[in-house]
Amino acid sequence: MTPVMAWFRRPHATCVMVGILAAMLAGAGTARADTPPPLPGFIHDGALTVCTNPTLPPMTFVNGTDVKAVDGIDMDIARTLAAYWHVKLTVTTMDFTGLFPSLAAGRCGLVASGIIRLPQRERNFDAVAYQDTALVIVARAGTHPLGGMAELSGRKVAVQAGTSYSARMARENEALAAAGHAPMIITAYPTEEQVVQQVLLGRAFALASQDVELAYRREQLHGRVRVIFTPPYPEYRHFALYIRKDAHDRALLEQAVATLRDNGQMAAIAQKWAITPDTTQALGATAPAFHWGTFFGALTSAAFMRGAFITLAVAVLSHLTAIAISLPMALVLNGRDCVLKTGLTAYVALFRGAPTLLQLLFIWNALPQFLPFFREAWFTPFLATWLSLSINESAYQVEINRAALLAVDPAQAVAGHALGLSRGQVYRHVIFPQALRIALPPTINAFISLLKTTSLASVISVQELLAVTQIQVARTFEFTEYYAAALVYYLAMVFFFLLVQKRVERRFSWADQYRAGTHAS
Amino acid sequence: MHPEPGAVLSIRNLSKLYKDFTALDRISLDVRRGEKVVVLGPSGSGKSTLIRCLNRIEPHDSGSLHINGQTITARTDLIRLRALVGLVFQNYNLFPHLNVLDNCALAPRLVRKMPRAQAEALAMRFLQQVNIAGQARKYPIQLSGGQQQRVAIARALCMQPEIMLFDEPTAALDPEAVSGVATIMNDLAAQGITILCVTHEMRFARHIADRIVFMDQGRIMEITPPGQFFTNPQTRRAQDFLNQMIA
Ligand SMILES: Nc1ncnc2c1ncn2[C@@H]1O[C@H](COP(=O)(O)OP(=O)(O)OP(=O)(O)O)[C@@H](O)[C@H]1O
Ligand SMILES: [Mg+2]
Repeated sequence: MTPVMAWFRRPHATCVMVGILAAMLAGAGTARADTPPPLPGFIHDGALTVCTNPTLPPMTFVNGTDVKAVDGIDMDIARTLAAYWHVKLTVTTMDFTGLFPSLAAGRCGLVASGIIRLPQRERNFDAVAYQDTALVIVARAGTHPLGGMAELSGRKVAVQAGTSYSARMARENEALAAAGHAPMIITAYPTEEQVVQQVLLGRAFALASQDVELAYRREQLHGRVRVIFTPPYPEYRHFALYIRKDAHDRALLEQAVATLRDNGQMAAIAQKWAITPDTTQALGATAPAFHWGTFFGALTSAAFMRGAFITLAVAVLSHLTAIAISLPMALVLNGRDCVLKTGLTAYVALFRGAPTLLQLLFIWNALPQFLPFFREAWFTPFLATWLSLSINESAYQVEINRAALLAVDPAQAVAGHALGLSRGQVYRHVIFPQALRIALPPTINAFISLLKTTSLASVISVQELLAVTQIQVARTFEFTEYYAAALVYYLAMVFFFLLVQKRVERRFSWADQYRAGTHAS
Repeated sequence: MHPEPGAVLSIRNLSKLYKDFTALDRISLDVRRGEKVVVLGPSGSGKSTLIRCLNRIEPHDSGSLHINGQTITARTDLIRLRALVGLVFQNYNLFPHLNVLDNCALAPRLVRKMPRAQAEALAMRFLQQVNIAGQARKYPIQLSGGQQQRVAIARALCMQPEIMLFDEPTAALDPEAVSGVATIMNDLAAQGITILCVTHEMRFARHIADRIVFMDQGRIMEITPPGQFFTNPQTRRAQDFLNQMIA
């Protein structure tokens, strides 16, 4: 039995509720009676800004279909802390790998996301422990418990990317190698539920996770997994809140956590989220089936519609911006040599060469380090995505534009000039309409590709369709149903734009000898 | 040197260079109002270049060009010049994305700022004149070569120019269509429009020309009335050219 399990042992619904109420009243009472505690430096403008990656139940996760409503132990603690300091709470959700860069960039004052307290992290950030835990090795129900980590030699072990487990497992591998054993084969997945899924599918023998999460997951998993080993890692004992390095702030945060622990609020939160006490006990497994109700529920959910809308908005806005900036760029690139042309050639090479994901991460995480301007609140993940996808797409669109403009017979421009049309009129009335027909199919193609590229934005916390899907999967473990619903949305959007393309192409029937007549009359 | 009085078009020692290649070599020519001048000459002799210099689609390098008594320079208002001098291209260059009517109405609307209805009425008038009004709603791709040629003529006429330049208007036409174009040109000349036409069609040239200009290697070799040119050319080069054309 791990320390947390011991802590989770006692829950009884009414008892928990009473406990929370009592704790909150006590907390509020003390706060009102005394002068408010001094505010740490990471609280700005009367708001505590907390970053979290809500895919780690019960620490932090979306406990319903509203993806904006983050729930869990971490959120309860954040709420309690905000109440303690008498400030407003702002929660920003993002990909796990974005948490520490965002903290460093000043986008959040505090990271509360079920993160282990580790010495290497404390080199760059200050950590305040708030909850005990233990690292556990988990395998499918029915697997024999291990006698030690050496028994994992040569086996596949899944871990969540960006967490400290993969580093810890690598160290374990060094020990295995030193002892002359084959190493574990470690595979990393971006979200915790995918890690678990690898074990359920039999692709990985075991996974490394925390007992707290497993305790919560067990109900969703219907006892399909069990803890097979708890390695004796003393450093994996605490979840911590992270802040930027500041001894004073750290002392204030420690004091706050100590106060909450002393007045029982921490214990109440822990009890609220405890599910059942024993992870090692396997329950009756249920056969996996496709739940049509979940599928249709997702299809018609506000969360999915909102996600699809954001996906569409990001794609349409980015592509329109890309078209607007790539048109003058194409004219310059098709024109005579000049400094501007050399510059634009470099721009195109750079943004076509660099992976889109890298550009997105750079603009969101690295740019604010050079330009504090981008640290301000108005620079939202949505704007960052819009900016980086516009730039990225313009580098592709400019080539489409260039080719289309070059494909128009130069004699057309001469004919326009010979009729007395100005340069602008020639472009507007003679060249562009003809270039548009040539550019349209590749442009729609590029747009459809962009529509799907928007899913990258989930990495910087944009709640687009795929992010919504993953959050729902993390909550329910129903992979197939939610993936299918997302697929339906993507396909519907793509088919809609293919239909638009057909429609618009009909307007270009002048290029088709056999159809021109039908449109002309 | 001064433009000849009464000449609508006066060319004096006009030269055009492409890098160090002399495409036009000191061309001099005067054309009277309502005159039909046909330019003949072997391929590459500079006929198209000459025509393109006359409405400054190609700027000339030296010499002078006077139209309606006005000297054409880099500072000339090109839009007014091109309203005065219409050009019909060898391969028509109709706008494929516009139907016949819009092809003709576009320049009056944009350049002359005519309301659409008025520009279309004007276009219909000239389409009727070249006998193609029935195809007004068709797109260029749906027309035969001869029909496209007539649309190209109507499109140039819509700007109501005083001088019309034709670059091989008969190149892709059957004999019947050729005689149609000849009729149109005679009509235009009768209305006082001056015509300068490049062609390789000898019978057509003889039929419409008031004067023949024979060019070779960027130079005018001789300027003669058609009767004389076809029976008794003055230069050896013209003789050879005619022999080749007949053979
Ligand atoms: N843009 C250009 N650059 C360089 N040389 C050119 C250019 N345009 C024409 N030339 C050259 O100028 C000369 C005259 O060309 P032009 O087109 O005027 O001949 P043409 O008499 O109209 O011939 P054709 O009967 O074959 O149409 C040719 O030798 C041609 O190669
Ligand atoms: Mg020519």
